[in-house]
Amino acid sequence: MRALASHPRVELLLRLLVGGFFVYASLDKIWSPAAFAKIVYQWQVVGPVPSNLVAATLPWVELLAGLLLLAGIWKRESALVVALMLVVFIVAAGSVMARGIDVENCGCVSVAKADTGSWPPAWTKGVGWFLVSRNLVLLGVALAIAFLPTDKPASPPPSR
Amino acid sequence: MFVNWKRFILILATGAVAGLLWNAASGRGFALGRSVLVQAGDEIVAAADAKALLDRGALFVDARPRDFWRMSRIPGALPLPDEEFDRAFAEIEARLRRANGIVVYCSGFGCEASHLVARKLRERGLIAAILNEGIPAWEDAGFPMDSEPRS
Repeated sequence: MRALASHPRVELLLRLLVGGFFVYASLDKIWSPAAFAKIVYQWQVVGPVPSNLVAATLPWVELLAGLLLLAGIWKRESALVVALMLVVFIVAAGSVMARGIDVENCGCVSVAKADTGSWPPAWTKGVGWFLVSRNLVLLGVALAIAFLPTDKPASPPPSR
Repeated sequence: MFVNWKRFILILATGAVAGLLWNAASGRGFALGRSVLVQAGDEIVAAADAKALLDRGALFVDARPRDFWRMSRIPGALPLPDEEFDRAFAEIEARLRRANGIVVYCSGFGCEASHLVARKLRERGLIAAILNEGIPAWEDAGFPMDSEPRS
């Protein structure tokens, strides 16, 4: 597993996957910051003003870290930023679930009202086990990018 | 394996600054210093002021879905759920128009229903104050809830 994740092509694939997901997830929230702030309120983790700051800044950190991962620039550090965000999301989701708060749209990738359209299904949008499981997988990938050594591609044979 | 922590901090800081600049300058931003649910014309009252209004005979209305009102409510509150506003409003309109002040509340600072109901009442010529941060603020201030189940 460790050797597989260290393979340069596998590492590239993992970066494209996580980086692409974070870039995609940031766009709707950047375009509609106030709508995203309302969703952050529903999580009820921090009060209105701290929630506002989260809503204004978090999507841009997602975008920047995602772009750096896609480009392969500062990839260990950007993967760690992604990992930090995922840990925060997982802990916050656990807190929402433990308190029995119903959040229909987690605001993870879209700020649209939960009742618009039947796709994707509701259980993929709310705060629940699907969200936590997905974030745990993404966290594992981000930590692999951050900490596993990457094999250097085989160098071409020296020319005569 | 080697992580440069300065780069790590720089990514976080750059993202945060970009977000604040976008919020300030893009025209799509919002006021960071207060609840984004509050709009011009909304009258917000703290729990203590709402209690004083209640003691002076103000009518409280509960903007949450009706099942929540059935389980518990601020004493004397009538159900006026945002999701079935027209029907519920017709049921209690006479009492609302007679009331000596109206206060709308819902489940907390993340709940928009009290704001939406207050605006719908305003469209119908009724001025209603919004209980700031809803039931949790009411309970935190030590004021009672009526938990007698209703049908």
